[in-house]
Amino acid sequence: MHHRIVTVMADTIPLGEAKSLVARARAGDMSALEHMYRAYEGSVYSLARRLTRTAEEAEDVLQETFLEVCRSLGSWRGDGSLWGWVRTIAASKALMRYRREKLRETDELKDEMDAAPRSTDVPLRLDLESALQRLSERSRAVVWLHDVEGYTHEEIAELMGMTTSFSKSQLARAHQRLRAWLGEEAWT
Amino acid sequence: MNDLRHATTEELLALRDGEGGAWTRAHLETCQACAGELWRLEQARARLRALPAFAPPRDRWPEVALMARRERRQRRLRGIVAIATAAALAGITFAALRPASGGDPAAQQAALAREIERSQALEQQLRALDPDQQALTAEAATAAAELENRLAAVDAQLNMPDAWTGNQERVTDLWAQRAGLLSALVDVHTTRVAAAGL
Repeated sequence: MHHRIVTVMADTIPLGEAKSLVARARAGDMSALEHMYRAYEGSVYSLARRLTRTAEEAEDVLQETFLEVCRSLGSWRGDGSLWGWVRTIAASKALMRYRREKLRETDELKDEMDAAPRSTDVPLRLDLESALQRLSERSRAVVWLHDVEGYTHEEIAELMGMTTSFSKSQLARAHQRLRAWLGEEAWT
Repeated sequence: MNDLRHATTEELLALRDGEGGAWTRAHLETCQACAGELWRLEQARARLRALPAFAPPRDRWPEVALMARRERRQRRLRGIVAIATAAALAGITFAALRPASGGDPAAQQAALAREIERSQALEQQLRALDPDQQALTAEAATAAAELENRLAAVDAQLNMPDAWTGNQERVTDLWAQRAGLLSALVDVHTTRVAAAGL
């Protein structure tokens, strides 16, 4: 059972402090890297949890993300939010697992099943969390990255190796399914 | 309603995200069903954003730190292949060194031998400190990286006998620089950064 907390997905490290931390981490200061890890571990894990199937996969993404952060410290130019940079690495790692594990085929089958005519969509009156989990991994990733994290369809297309129009249609289909599974009054 | 059809979910989402077309905007002014659907999509986004975050079930920092240290050590080993051991460099030095034409050859030879021995002793001392397993402060880590770079540069010169063959003073000086840098590295790893002279 996982503990759940409410957090604000925002950069908790001011830019000036972020620059200093990254410089120290690049020089080999592990306490600086740990400071970054502690500041972002919750947000990275939470994002990974939304983009992967299991808690174990999300934990692996958390670890892979910070190892990549450690390897790539030199590529953060300091002209944007550190969290934005870390978040893109995390999303990329989570989606890389999705690609590596060849979930596309399974997802495509699930997408086809989900896309059955509306008349067969019996309102399940699921709560939002359960409905979100019921989406295919790809649809859930598009919904989460676009509606919650604020990525554009162009950015999602690049991250997931799909076209922009496909990202848009995935988002629309996902919203239709969520609506059907939740029942209309569930949104209100 | 200003058309024979309703707006699609994709069109409504585009409008919600500030990218909607003129037709959709005009249509929504007269179609309550589509206006209601747009409101529902806005609520959906708000509810998704309000979902609670997940907290990691356990602390993965120890594993991350261990692997990060290991990777950093491997990168450093790959990066400083130019830093040879004193024994290997001494072999190159003596094989390439010609007898000096002036001065006191025996004294020069003894001075060179002293610097090489000093290098070897400091290398052993540094190895015993196991620097890769030590947590350093940012200042110490920066100092160590700088010293390692300079050491690599000196070793690169010692590895090119053509540059100093026939100039025993030059090669002795390189060995003295090498010992000095190793000594400073030992100081850094015994947390005496100030004594490193950087």
